[in-house]
Amino acid sequence: MANREFTVAGEYRYDRSGPIRWIASHLLRHKRYLALFVGGTVLAQVLNAVVPILTGQAFAIVLGPHPDAGQLGRVSLAILGVVLALFVVAPSGAFASEVLAQRIERDARDELYLSLLGKSQTFHNQQRVGDIMARTSNDVRQLNPMINPGVSLILDSFSGLVIPILFIAFIRLDLLLAPLLFTVAFLIALRAYTRQLNPVSGEMRGRFGQLNAGLAETINGIEVVKATAQEPWERAKFDVNARGYRDAFVHNGRIQARYLPPLFIGVALAIALIHGLYLVTHGQLSVGSLIAYIGLVALLRYPSFISIFTFNLVQLGLAGSQRILALMRQESDLDENESGYRAPIRGEIVFDDVTFGYGDTPILEHVSFRAPAGATIAVVGQTGSGKTTLTKLVNRTYDVTAGRIRVDGVDVRDWSMDALRSQISTIEQDVFLFSRSIAENIAFGLGSRADRAAIERAARDAQAHQFIADLPEGYETVIGERGVTLSGGQRQRLAIARALLTDPRILILDDSTSAIDSATEDEIQHAIRRVLEGRTTLLITHRLSQIRWADHILVLRNGTLVDQGGHDELLARCDDYRRIFAHYDPALAGVPTPAGEGAA
Amino acid sequence: MGFIMDGLDAESYDRAYTDRALVARIVGYFRPQAGIMIFVAAMILLSSLADTVLPILISRGIDTVRTAQSFGVEALLVGAILISGVVSWLLNYLRQRNTARAVGDVVLKLREDAFDAVLKRDMSFYDETPSGKVVSRVTSDTEDFATVVTLTLNLLSQLLLVLLLMGVLFYINVRLALLAVALIPVIVITALAFRRIARRTTQHARRALARVNGLVQETISGISIAKNFRQERAIYDEFRGVNAQSYAVNLRQGLVFTGIFPLLNTVAGIGTVIVIYFGGLRALDHTVSPGSWYLFVQAIAMLWFPLTGIASFWSQFQLGLGASERVFALVDAEPRVVQRRVEPVERLAGRIEFRHLDFRYVEDQPILRDFSLTIPAGQTVAVVGHTGAGKTTLAKLIARFYEFQGGELLIDGRDIRSFDLRAYHRHLGIVPQVPFLFSGTVADNIRYARPDAGDAEVAAVARSIGGGDWLDALPDGLATEVGETGRSLSMGQRQLVALARVLLQDPSILILDEATASVDPFTEAQIQEALDLALRDRTAILIAHRLSTVKHADRILVMRSGEIVEEGSHDTLLAAGGHYAHLYNTYFRHQSPDYRPGEGFVAVHAAEAV
Repeated sequence: MANREFTVAGEYRYDRSGPIRWIASHLLRHKRYLALFVGGTVLAQVLNAVVPILTGQAFAIVLGPHPDAGQLGRVSLAILGVVLALFVVAPSGAFASEVLAQRIERDARDELYLSLLGKSQTFHNQQRVGDIMARTSNDVRQLNPMINPGVSLILDSFSGLVIPILFIAFIRLDLLLAPLLFTVAFLIALRAYTRQLNPVSGEMRGRFGQLNAGLAETINGIEVVKATAQEPWERAKFDVNARGYRDAFVHNGRIQARYLPPLFIGVALAIALIHGLYLVTHGQLSVGSLIAYIGLVALLRYPSFISIFTFNLVQLGLAGSQRILALMRQESDLDENESGYRAPIRGEIVFDDVTFGYGDTPILEHVSFRAPAGATIAVVGQTGSGKTTLTKLVNRTYDVTAGRIRVDGVDVRDWSMDALRSQISTIEQDVFLFSRSIAENIAFGLGSRADRAAIERAARDAQAHQFIADLPEGYETVIGERGVTLSGGQRQRLAIARALLTDPRILILDDSTSAIDSATEDEIQHAIRRVLEGRTTLLITHRLSQIRWADHILVLRNGTLVDQGGHDELLARCDDYRRIFAHYDPALAGVPTPAGEGAA
Repeated sequence: MGFIMDGLDAESYDRAYTDRALVARIVGYFRPQAGIMIFVAAMILLSSLADTVLPILISRGIDTVRTAQSFGVEALLVGAILISGVVSWLLNYLRQRNTARAVGDVVLKLREDAFDAVLKRDMSFYDETPSGKVVSRVTSDTEDFATVVTLTLNLLSQLLLVLLLMGVLFYINVRLALLAVALIPVIVITALAFRRIARRTTQHARRALARVNGLVQETISGISIAKNFRQERAIYDEFRGVNAQSYAVNLRQGLVFTGIFPLLNTVAGIGTVIVIYFGGLRALDHTVSPGSWYLFVQAIAMLWFPLTGIASFWSQFQLGLGASERVFALVDAEPRVVQRRVEPVERLAGRIEFRHLDFRYVEDQPILRDFSLTIPAGQTVAVVGHTGAGKTTLAKLIARFYEFQGGELLIDGRDIRSFDLRAYHRHLGIVPQVPFLFSGTVADNIRYARPDAGDAEVAAVARSIGGGDWLDALPDGLATEVGETGRSLSMGQRQLVALARVLLQDPSILILDEATASVDPFTEAQIQEALDLALRDRTAILIAHRLSTVKHADRILVMRSGEIVEEGSHDTLLAAGGHYAHLYNTYFRHQSPDYRPGEGFVAVHAAEAV
């Protein structure tokens, strides 16, 4: 919690020492609802148990020595009163649990979000966005059903078991025999049942997933299946999956059929009845009390049907909390170096025998090169050759393992991280835009400080003004709304406009998306040219023309720099480099390309 | 049952079945399980009887304890209660066990039939139907069907119990029984009304939820951008607003659902009050015995739960019928590609001839009209043209994925409609634009078309591409797991695997829809090298998107609106300045290594520049 980059005033502090404590501290934040939830649930069970007691009294009146219709009416009215009270109390508890469930989801999401905002950029660059999304959406959402119906049903069933038994104790202590025997047998059976059912229902879910995934694969690849005449093989695969699911389904059904508590309730009722009848015939119990007793024992039927599902919900919620807590507790390992070197960057980058690896796996080995200020450096190499990693070392997303990187002659580790990063900008392959207006997206880096004229200038320089103007609401068009979607090329140009407005000194540009047609390509390349002007750029690209016109080219292969230099010298001496142009060799010799002559 | 399908789910092959046809079909699936089903029915009947006996015996116990003085009778009664409890449990156990087996087998059969139908469909079906919807018909709809069958059987036993109990009550005292059942309609109506409200709220909430969830997701993925530009405060404020909205929407929906059980409970509680008071009065004037009075009290408690179930049953049942209807429509859909004869196909030379062929996907929208084209065996043909010009259609017709309406298509001079399709497909290699890989290793995927190929053969084919360089870039070489749909491999690597697959298959005719996705230049070079190998010694139809491919083709076909408007080699077509030159300016110009933005146009005659 020590290094946080963002805080808000008056933030509520939760206990993060463990998942159960954490959930408890969330619930305790809403003490009134918690009290209403527990009170309402327990009171409802008490009222439920009062009904058989009053029923017993009604019988006592009618069967007693002085039967009286008036008294019967009064008891009936009392029962009606209890029923009406239940009508108020039971929903209150249920509503309170619903409110708690929704609030814990809301608060936990807020807490996690704040914690994520507080973490360093380093942390975020190292996390896979998918993982964070999974925690913040699935794990946080799982907290909701954990409370309601999970915890809420467990409390309900537990008090539905304990309260009737307490009432029975008040009638006559030795009548506890049957209910207590039942309780012990019930708990043992429930435990055994859960242990048997959990693996099987897990298997059933797994098999269903397999069946679905296998089928989806066959259908998505149907063109290949048909073209290669492999239908029988796919049919056999499907059959194995479908049969596997069928067997798990039948097994699951067998275990569910074996659920013992309904049998125990029958036996308990018989024992209770013989016990009660024995006491009645020996004059030690009134018929009214017997009726009340039987009614209370019958109430135990309700908790005996508690679904195993509720326990799973709580388990899932706890597991999710564990993961959320782990994420919130994680700290970034790079220090911010606040007292470090600060200066406007001119833009010279020097890699000096740089080696980098995760653990024992080397990603880059002994890489050295120099990028003069303002130069465009193209990085080429096969997928997985270390291109992206190389660019991420410059802004200290990762720190080198050996060697050093200097920006303007100063080791990046000696720069103040804030000064370094605020002057280096990255345009990634997948451009992220917010569901806001285009103007706000372009101005995002400056907050509300950018005026419209500046935004439009940036958009023009990025070749984006024309398509923005063609949108129904121009710069006010909200992205993602009413089907407004942008192509990869358009998103890229918005990102370029966004970068132009913040004016970084060093730019890292991943330009790997390809345009389908040449006109779009013309616009994108004009925009890229504009953004390259006057800044040092590390350019990852698949475009041969961009590679050949770069100031300097780095050829990477499996993490080593096999060669570097200008296009012509590399073509003359580097086999790897020549190979990528080989198929265009005749083109290099010269195609009839009368420049400037345009199609209509 | 057609009305069940709302517009959202309907597919072109969907059809409406009458309820009778539907039920008859479902019964047909259960016929092999007749023995088990009769047994299950007997269990349902017997267990309902046992459950009815229980409260009657308890009431008799109450009565006898007041009259008889010997404890023996009581003991006998309790013994009977014990037996009825045990028997009821045993019968239920047998019922559930056997139901699970019967339903499991029926669903298995239904799934197998549905899957067989899926495999028999021609490609037009897959082009028209999103794969997710086909999957859900085979797995989820059959599952829904199973759930409803199980539910129906459970409900049947509960319904039987309700009827038996009511019979007993009416037998004891008609007037009291009438009072007791007076609340049944109230319970049923309440449950039905609730379903209505719930459905409406759910619809409202679902729309709001989808929006809110999307927004929450977005603000979360925006974190790193916000940090990049140091805009944490702005994005946090936006997040809080969205999160609060999400809370409000969810809470409103949740509250509706928590209200229903307490409400139904109260109605049942009022029933209890009525029975206690009026039953007590009857007991006072000795019209009914105290035991019978108690029987009424117990019966009310036993009746109300199954009743709420019955109220909601009908809509569930409709869902199940709707699900089975969707499955049957899939099974019954008519194939469009019809083979006239099934003749064996031995080795092919690869000569392809379209003769006056007519083709359309949809009525009144002809794609090809009187189309004729001859491709000699062994030629490499690149087809170019704008989207919708008919390039892909040619490939699909040669693959026999679609049925044409007129003319002839001859392969080696034989009518394509006379082939054994599976045998024909063995001589046909297809590389789709987005290459599809099955989960498994790279070697498994190369071997897919010829599962009998040995490891050495697979390795030899893989090594023949670019000297096997591409295998070194894979973490475990040929043994690398490709992940779901090949996700662990880069797009370029997937294309290399797909090409290796075709090389191993060694077909007479190759159809390749060239990828448009961009690939790093090294992998691209290897793909080109693989392509050179794949094109050697076989007829190839390339739907070309890359400059280097069109340049290397023997013959370029330029298509527009289903017609071939030009053909020839790259250089001659470019010099001619016709439609091809226009296409070059539009699609290929920027692929040249010499490209600079806004330059490199070739001259086009004004007439062609459309």
